[in-house]
Amino acid sequence: MYLYLPVALTSISIFIPVGLGLIVGLLSGLFGVGGGFLMTPLLMMFGIPPVVSAATDTNQIVAASVSGTYAHWRMGNVDFKMGLHLLIGSFTGGLIGVQLIKILRAMGNADFAIKLTYVIMLGGVGTYMFFESLSALRKKKKAEFLPQEKKESAIGRFLKSLSFQTYYHKSGVTHSIFVPILLGGFVGILAAIMGVGGGFLMVPVMVYMLRMPMHVVVGTSLFQILFTCIEVTFLQSYTNHAVDFILAVLLLLGSTVGAQIGAAFGRKLKGEQLRILLACIVLAVAIKIIIELTLTPSLLIGQTGGH
Amino acid sequence: MKKLIQSKFYFYYKGLLITILSILLFIPEISSATLTVKANHDHIKINFFYHGDEVNVSGISDEGLDLIIKITSPEIHQVMKKKGKVAGLLWMNVGTLNFEHVPNLYFLHTTGKLDELLEKKEMDRYIIGYPALFKHVEITSNEKTKTVALTGEEKEQWFKEYVKFKESLSLYHLSEGDVSIKKVEKGLQDYHIRIEWPYQAPPGEYTVTVYGIKNKQVVETAETKVFVEQVGGVKTLSDMAKNYSAIYGIISIIVAIAAGFGVGMIFRKGGSH
Repeated sequence: MYLYLPVALTSISIFIPVGLGLIVGLLSGLFGVGGGFLMTPLLMMFGIPPVVSAATDTNQIVAASVSGTYAHWRMGNVDFKMGLHLLIGSFTGGLIGVQLIKILRAMGNADFAIKLTYVIMLGGVGTYMFFESLSALRKKKKAEFLPQEKKESAIGRFLKSLSFQTYYHKSGVTHSIFVPILLGGFVGILAAIMGVGGGFLMVPVMVYMLRMPMHVVVGTSLFQILFTCIEVTFLQSYTNHAVDFILAVLLLLGSTVGAQIGAAFGRKLKGEQLRILLACIVLAVAIKIIIELTLTPSLLIGQTGGH
Repeated sequence: MKKLIQSKFYFYYKGLLITILSILLFIPEISSATLTVKANHDHIKINFFYHGDEVNVSGISDEGLDLIIKITSPEIHQVMKKKGKVAGLLWMNVGTLNFEHVPNLYFLHTTGKLDELLEKKEMDRYIIGYPALFKHVEITSNEKTKTVALTGEEKEQWFKEYVKFKESLSLYHLSEGDVSIKKVEKGLQDYHIRIEWPYQAPPGEYTVTVYGIKNKQVVETAETKVFVEQVGGVKTLSDMAKNYSAIYGIISIIVAIAAGFGVGMIFRKGGSH
């Protein structure tokens, strides 16, 4: 059965967006990422214009992250205080990043440098996460990953010396409120420059730098993504007229359910297992981008907009 | 009064002159006026269940004429991303190209092989076939500080890519020898072609032109229109996205939040049982 999409100006079998929504929603509920890296190119593959793909996906993530946050909140896995502090940071970072990208573009050849940085970063984060969680899985009974302990003693002391120390009850960690705000800002800047949602960067930052338990990371990340995507959906709709309501509804039919299944499934997995799975996905995305960059594309021209 | 009579006379005179001139102008193009064209489906309505349509183009022409049917949209200007190799290794977007005077949709159907049907000069004159379209369009590249017009091989390469892109969306299509001539009587013939109208073709006005061909020259033309328009909910949503974008954005967000909560509630209920 086909439905016509009034903004994308094309027709699509309803099973495609509902199915895609289900898969991406599952990842979202499981790992606390938005899944734009997967959804936007897939939608483009099915003939949705790039700008509409990116904008509509953001609208869909609003639904998936509400569904996921709600599921994780019921399990007591959302640290609202931490989420709020990260959000203040990432919101400010986003504003700075948008200005920064203009400066970078004006300098010329910025896209090349940005894409390369993105791939290296994904590769680095993915590899680190993979080996860290692998060793954690092996030494399950012993104390948590050792290399991290060393790092904490160095940076940790400095972080503890900062003022405004607060206890984050849900995460069970104490940080100065500047730490999540600054880290959120850092992710916000990078996300704006690279044109991605930032879930891939936010999750490792929360795990390794804020030292939050993996399950709380997923719930809190979703809570944070929700607000970012509300803002972006509005801007995309207001300035680009690019949100396709019908497509968004089809996607969210799948993704809201997927997010619930993901959250329930994640509950059965250990933190290390979740991390190693996420590491594999991050690495797969990095490899996918490398392949895209090196293989000759079938079409040498494309519509403007999108990622 | 004299002036009035004079100006009236002037008007008649001018009118007569225009009539004679237009007759003279039209004579070489249309030798007889038998060629007709009709699209059975000239108002395509896009509702939620629209998935393309079928348009039957038919008409009458003089016996023995070859026919070319061209369907085009008004010419547009389109900006496209250009991909190229950076550092000799990586494929990336390396700039933008402007395509000027390009139809968004371009269909060509004929009764025979295009090259055998028509002289090159005539093809160029009526913009029939990709080589003629190639000559007609302008492609410019946006460089760092200026816009450069493409010529020669470079223009050809990007034009080919553009055609490939349009063909991938079913918006450009060229097929030879698929117009069927049905019956011949009293020196006349019926022609007919069934066209799969692509759902990717946006709303707008499309022109169907039939060229009657004899001795590799266009001797007759006839034209009709096909209108594609959005109706009902599709139109309401599309208009709203354009004209009330703030409200549209807010509604989209509210629906998404409500759906997220709704599904969450359903799952909670399901879980408690």
